[in-house]
Amino acid sequence: MKAAAFDYHRPASVDAAVGLLAELGDEAKVLAGGQSLVPVMAMRLGRPEHIVDVNRVAELEGVSRSDGTLRVGALTRHRALERDELIAGAAPLLTRAAPYIGHFQIRNRGTLGGSLAHADPAAELPAVAVALDAGIEVRSARGTRRIPAGEFFVSAFMTALEPDELVTALHVPVWGPGSGFAVAELARRQGDFALAGAACGVQLRGGLITRAAVGLFGMGAVPVRARAAEQALTGASVGEVDLDGLARDAVAPLRPASDIHGSGAYRRRAGAHMISLALDRALAEAQGTREAGA
Amino acid sequence: MTELDVSLTVNGQRRLARVEPRKTLADLLRQDLGLTGTHLGCEHGVCGSCTVLVDGLAVRSCLMFGVQADGSEVTTVEGLAGDEPGSLGPLQRAFWETHGLQCGFCTPGFVVSVTAFLEECPDPDDEQIREALSGNLCRCTGYQGIIRGVRLAARLRREEQEARA
Amino acid sequence: MSAGEAAARWVGQSVKRREDPRLLAGRGRYVDDVVMPGMAHAAFVRSPVARGTVRGVNTSAAAGLPGVVAVFTAADLNEPGRPFWKTMIGPAGQPPHRLLAEHDVRFAGDIVALVVAESRYLAEDGAELVDVDIDPLPPVLDPASAAGGAPLVHPERDTNLADELPEMPRPDVDRVFASAAHVITETFEQHRYLPVPMECRGVVASWDRWSDRLELVISGQGVHEVRLFYSRYFGVPEDRIRVVMGDVGGSFGQKVFPVNDEIAVVAAARKLGRPVKWIEDRSENLIAGGHARDQSMRVEFALDADGALLAARTHLVENVGAFPASGSGSMLLAATAVFPGPYRLAAYAGSGQAFFTNTCSRCAYRGPWMIETTAREQMMDVAAAELGIDPLELRRRNVIRPGDLPFTTAVGVTYDAISPAQTLEQAAELIEYDKFRAFQRQAREDGRLVGIGMSLYIEPLGAPGILATEAATIRVEPSGTVNVLMGTGSHGQSLETTIVQVVADYLGAALDDVHLIQGDTAATPYGPGTAGSRSAAIASGAAQQASVTMRQRVLAIAAAMMEANPADLTMTDSRITVAGDPDAGLALKEVAAAAYLSPASLPPGTPAGLEVAERYQAPMLNFSNAAHACTVEVDRATGVVRILRYVVSEDCGNMINPMVVEGQIAGGVVQGIGGVFYEHMIYDPDGNPLTTTFLDYLLPTAAEVPDLEYGHVVTPGPTPGGYKGMGEGGAIASPAALVNAVRDALAPLGVRVTSQPLTPDRIAALMAGIT
Repeated sequence: MKAAAFDYHRPASVDAAVGLLAELGDEAKVLAGGQSLVPVMAMRLGRPEHIVDVNRVAELEGVSRSDGTLRVGALTRHRALERDELIAGAAPLLTRAAPYIGHFQIRNRGTLGGSLAHADPAAELPAVAVALDAGIEVRSARGTRRIPAGEFFVSAFMTALEPDELVTALHVPVWGPGSGFAVAELARRQGDFALAGAACGVQLRGGLITRAAVGLFGMGAVPVRARAAEQALTGASVGEVDLDGLARDAVAPLRPASDIHGSGAYRRRAGAHMISLALDRALAEAQGTREAGA
Repeated sequence: MTELDVSLTVNGQRRLARVEPRKTLADLLRQDLGLTGTHLGCEHGVCGSCTVLVDGLAVRSCLMFGVQADGSEVTTVEGLAGDEPGSLGPLQRAFWETHGLQCGFCTPGFVVSVTAFLEECPDPDDEQIREALSGNLCRCTGYQGIIRGVRLAARLRREEQEARA
Repeated sequence: MSAGEAAARWVGQSVKRREDPRLLAGRGRYVDDVVMPGMAHAAFVRSPVARGTVRGVNTSAAAGLPGVVAVFTAADLNEPGRPFWKTMIGPAGQPPHRLLAEHDVRFAGDIVALVVAESRYLAEDGAELVDVDIDPLPPVLDPASAAGGAPLVHPERDTNLADELPEMPRPDVDRVFASAAHVITETFEQHRYLPVPMECRGVVASWDRWSDRLELVISGQGVHEVRLFYSRYFGVPEDRIRVVMGDVGGSFGQKVFPVNDEIAVVAAARKLGRPVKWIEDRSENLIAGGHARDQSMRVEFALDADGALLAARTHLVENVGAFPASGSGSMLLAATAVFPGPYRLAAYAGSGQAFFTNTCSRCAYRGPWMIETTAREQMMDVAAAELGIDPLELRRRNVIRPGDLPFTTAVGVTYDAISPAQTLEQAAELIEYDKFRAFQRQAREDGRLVGIGMSLYIEPLGAPGILATEAATIRVEPSGTVNVLMGTGSHGQSLETTIVQVVADYLGAALDDVHLIQGDTAATPYGPGTAGSRSAAIASGAAQQASVTMRQRVLAIAAAMMEANPADLTMTDSRITVAGDPDAGLALKEVAAAAYLSPASLPPGTPAGLEVAERYQAPMLNFSNAAHACTVEVDRATGVVRILRYVVSEDCGNMINPMVVEGQIAGGVVQGIGGVFYEHMIYDPDGNPLTTTFLDYLLPTAAEVPDLEYGHVVTPGPTPGGYKGMGEGGAIASPAALVNAVRDALAPLGVRVTSQPLTPDRIAALMAGIT
């Protein structure tokens, strides 16, 4: 299972990287963590003629916070998402999601940018980005733009990226006090791709839910934002909200694909259960923190 | 067929290779450097038999191209032996004690992965051990001897560190 | 223990393995680690379709690629009329054979061309350039379709029937059924799953044209059978072939026979005059490496009002794929012979049919006949539920007890030295059966789905024909070290340790001074290799027998040197002493020196040197047995099954190394867990394999298995040392125990469980009332 031959490029800067992408276009694939791309190449399901290895582009690293936004560099490894204190403080949903990604050996190499660009419908990080209304910063030789997560994921394994564009960072709005976040996912085995999963955030004030975000993965070709569920949660009292019912309603209109690991109907069933679990955990966490204004 | 020079440190020794970009790190180690202890069980990043340490972190060497390891420090199973020639390191001794292997094919991958795991989590509970092991597949042992081996290795490491302290 | 007898020091101890240091240090030598000067690399072009007519194979582009050495097709490598039979099976009952597909392809993965290049990378590049033109035809994928006879998998035949055990009139059985208080019928299905050794299949073949000698380094289970096979196949005298086996990364039966892929590589090496290495990749191993299970068995039980099993009928239907590896690939006879199992079943009739299909060929897989246990043990639980009796109680009422032995089953097999009743009780005790039932009652009131399942079986260790003997040559070298040469092929079974334990004890040598040499036809006596749970009984039997003989030789020489009576001498740890006088004595190396270097000093009539070669002939049949019990919880919301506890009570006679025994049980049990909950080889309706990587064919990881618990019962077998083989048992019994536990957990929902795998989706559907 050996990859087909390719030309290898290892730019040291973003400018050099996007310059290469401008020149090579469709013939090039960006190599970051390689945990998704290299198996595809080994199986010869993908045979890019050029590989642009961005692992030495230092500009793609780094986590910073300014005012209400956390900027996470595209080359941030999943391992760092698990451990970084700045991320844990400002965007805990990223921290909660990371341990579900594969196994620790995969997380040592896999990157945030790579995961977003790969757009696997069963992946956690795209759903987190969508749930948090994050912005995906991309650059090309033509300039920089920010794509809202809700528009970035176009279909299974397809994004709004042009062939000459490189994901450079994720911008995540920071939630205020009284927030709680959780991810719940059902997989066949420890570390497998999710059959269904939910990435949720809630914010409480005075025992009422003031804000809710529910992002689903494995439930469609792209991450699903369960807006009806969010609306049902917003304004509800923590003690009175019917999570199970709300979860069932959230999945009812969805048509996840069937495959050998699970039917669409099963994914809906599992998805509902994951929504309940994740919201339950997020609410518990929110109740443990200081409430907004308290 | 362009080939590129790769200069890397493997098991503490500076090594050079000249490989096609598409050659995996696993194949570079096995074929160009003659370090056949790292095994290929799937070549698509699931079984973990190819696990090595790159700059101290456990990675699947079948999912890296050899050229990517230029300038890196790589540790393979051969580099985890004890200080004396022909001796085994503490984790290897633990697996020996607990029947942590039968055919031995997956074993180097486990030895490397667990070495990295215990560095970061020296006192794991059973759930943490199972989760950490879940990235390596074994077909012979049913994982029983391996799990016991990790428990023993953690204990031996702690005792060794306490003795040194 | 009297003087002259061996001291039992190592047998029975969990001695650390001799194999481990090199394997832990990454110094094992597997096929892909072998490098020979001038070695080239092979890659196959395989049929992408399950069935079709080959219009043409254009190799010119591939052959022209720089780095490609040669491209072979059927025209180059196929030699019709080659004897393709395996020694163990004999010439009868072979499916049609051709090496590479020529006019048609008969399963997805069928080999069509072989590319040899300077590297595997280049060989794969070349393989991509081979242009194969196939007109697809509708395939036959399952027994029901195959039974119709059209289309034919093998046009040379007039049927898709690979084997048949016809239903014969059995008025004796019919009578019992007619008058029985309860007659229950159920069909149990077992899906297609695979051995999946961690090391894929491969070979290095080197054919020296000048001396016409063939050397093979194989990933297999034994070297001598392979040499015999190739000697027959190529018409080359055996002594011009050397087959060597280094370390092998597991097999579980998949690598026990030479297969087309390997033979084609050997043929290519002969043509090229260069060594050729072939290692398949994991996708090839999953698609074409050999498949297993994929059977269904209809079981009918006739029971009396108290649950005594009076009679049974079974009908087994098998899917053996296109070119099953051994004869017809069918298990009809083997499964039927063992079906009565551990119960006092007086009347039984078994029948069945095995069908060819356009799918990957069946290979041997750990307990290939085990559908009999899967079906029988599930039927016990189904019958118990029908009668309103607890399944443990139903087993107690029927299990063969010590007082019943020797017991001749309804098929005429006589059991002795078995202990199913004792293992049943020990398993029940270990799992705390009654306590669990009480817990279950409470848990059910809380709405939880928890269940317990058991499985009881007898494992036959057949030793007919070439399996009947094993030889051991023991050489005490002039230095006093002891080499044991055997035709075994240990690939995880720890023979380098267990054989050494036996020899150390029975010869009286120091453990560290004894070494096993195996896996080389040039160095070892003929043996069928390591398979079929034969090592403990038969291989150890040979080693023990030869050790005893050698011991006598050594003591006779020592007695002369010490001017003592041999009966007064004892040898332990390579030291010979007079019983009761431990200070004076001789070292084994002194006896060896005398034997090799001063033969004139030996007592008259004593052979010089210290070499003993003996061949042990095992009893034709030998049995071990075990009982498995497990508890599970099914998550109501997701259908996910969590195994709470899993216990095994095993009787394999005297254990040479308990740690090794438990390791073998563990591996088999986890393969059963894999088969029931995770592993499934799936084809689409066109015969395309869907589960072609580890992303889709799921093996259990450490996170999916509990800590296993073991109990042991010891009923020595009829072999020297009383050891019995047991390597396959874990995989034989576990599926039934696990399915029974899930069925028990779901019982309050009235769910019928008779097939596998039990994925969360499937269980959720069962719970929702959708079958």
